[in-house]
Amino acid sequence: MGALIEGKGLTKSFGGLTALKGVDFHLDEGEIIGLIGPNGAGKTTLFNLVSGVFHPDSGKLYFNSKNITILKPFEICRLGIARTFQIVRPFLKMSCFENTLVGIIGRNDKNGGKEERKDEVRTLLKFVGLGNREQTLAKDLTLIEKKRLEMARALATKPKVLLLDEVLAGLNPSEILQALELIEVIRTQLKMTVFWIEHVMGAIMKASDRIIVLDQGEKIKEGKAEEIVSDLKVIEAYLGESDA
Amino acid sequence: MNEFLMYLTNGIVIGVINAISAIGVSLIVGIMRVVNFAHGELYIFAGYFSYHLSASLGVPPLLAMPLSIFFIFLIGIGMERTLIRPTYGDEMYSLIITFVLSIVLQNAALLIFGPYPNKPPNLVSGATNIFGLYHYGNQRLLSFFISIGILLFIFYLIKRTWFGKSIRAVSQDREMSSLVGVDHLRVNMLSFGLGAALAGAAGVIVAPIFPVTPTGSSAISLNAFVVVVLGGMGSLKGCVIGGLALGIIENLGAAYLSTMYRNIFGFVILILVLVFRPWGLFGQKAQ
Repeated sequence: MGALIEGKGLTKSFGGLTALKGVDFHLDEGEIIGLIGPNGAGKTTLFNLVSGVFHPDSGKLYFNSKNITILKPFEICRLGIARTFQIVRPFLKMSCFENTLVGIIGRNDKNGGKEERKDEVRTLLKFVGLGNREQTLAKDLTLIEKKRLEMARALATKPKVLLLDEVLAGLNPSEILQALELIEVIRTQLKMTVFWIEHVMGAIMKASDRIIVLDQGEKIKEGKAEEIVSDLKVIEAYLGESDA
Repeated sequence: MNEFLMYLTNGIVIGVINAISAIGVSLIVGIMRVVNFAHGELYIFAGYFSYHLSASLGVPPLLAMPLSIFFIFLIGIGMERTLIRPTYGDEMYSLIITFVLSIVLQNAALLIFGPYPNKPPNLVSGATNIFGLYHYGNQRLLSFFISIGILLFIFYLIKRTWFGKSIRAVSQDREMSSLVGVDHLRVNMLSFGLGAALAGAAGVIVAPIFPVTPTGSSAISLNAFVVVVLGGMGSLKGCVIGGLALGIIENLGAAYLSTMYRNIFGFVILILVLVFRPWGLFGQKAQ
């Protein structure tokens, strides 16, 4: 059985800066994969390639063995890859209900009537804990609520894979716990494959099945959490080379 | 007093038609970041279409109007597919292309329709006594009600329908809406068609009142831009209020000051808005 998402030799440059150099990776169905690395390592660029915001200069991307390298973002989304952003981007002038509905409209599937879909929106908003915020405009939400909304919108597209870009950034410790609970529920109840970038090390080490480490555009290590923390190259990437 | 009320009514009637035309520009700017300089030409073409359909081909005027609007919708979609789509990502190119297109279309109209003003036949004749105060032409009253109907339809389409939600999502964050599965290319294409159709709608409504001429198009584009800036970019409500304000001020100004200065009033307002409230009456300050 092949991997759910597979990337081969992904390379992407912006002007003179090479953001990714020949990165290979794969996600298996049902896995939670963490993606870590210092600032500028190319983590978000990798997400941008997978979600179709940018296309790689060279290399190939496969989803369920289908070549998705040069598909447009909405085509990739409709295949089943959804994404949230490090800096939240809900549609600010629309209500929570409408925001989530856009994700359902985006699926472009013909089955199910309007009422069913409205019920689906309500269920999703309850699921992420925004059940009492249906008619609130997104711009009036707090940061954690915006993140929850973005999650509901991503889930509305019925993804098989969820790409989460630093969902915990900017949250206080108690909010981090709430967000982690939500991710855990998504994983256990919805059985989704999750690929996430995180700087909160404790969280990502504990919750991930496997971790990929990027540094300066290259994959320097991949493996289980305990292998990562003891790896010399990873420590160097984060803390600088030791003189000894 | 009655005179004043009549000028005011004129202003309101022209105002709602202004609003329709301006919403056409505003939609395209808001969703696609494209300024359509060929807006006035589409309006003129629609006027000529309705004239030729009804006067030359014998189509009933009431059918000629929607038919002309539909043709303009198709022309709009064709423009987007062939000329505008390749320019996405660089607003300067689309600006130049629509500007060139406006000159080309204006001269095409001169060649095809000739330089003479034309007007399609009136749908109704006679006048109605308004509240016992003054008589007002039935054609203008009908134009007013058709315009209100179109405005309500647009508001419903944008605010209530699911297609409207996609439109608003794309106008707020094009990349993000694509990432949640909205086909932004299709939304762009349909909204350009819709914007063009609104220019056409304004054209066919006005044509029986003020005959269309090929050279009248630039004034119509400028008028729409003034309303959009006045109301605030991307605000439908702003277009309606801006359109009404411009219509009323132009008509009262023309009546009490001088008809010579009719077009100046709009630009004086435009300059004042740009100086004191550059984000328009209902627009939002850029962050």
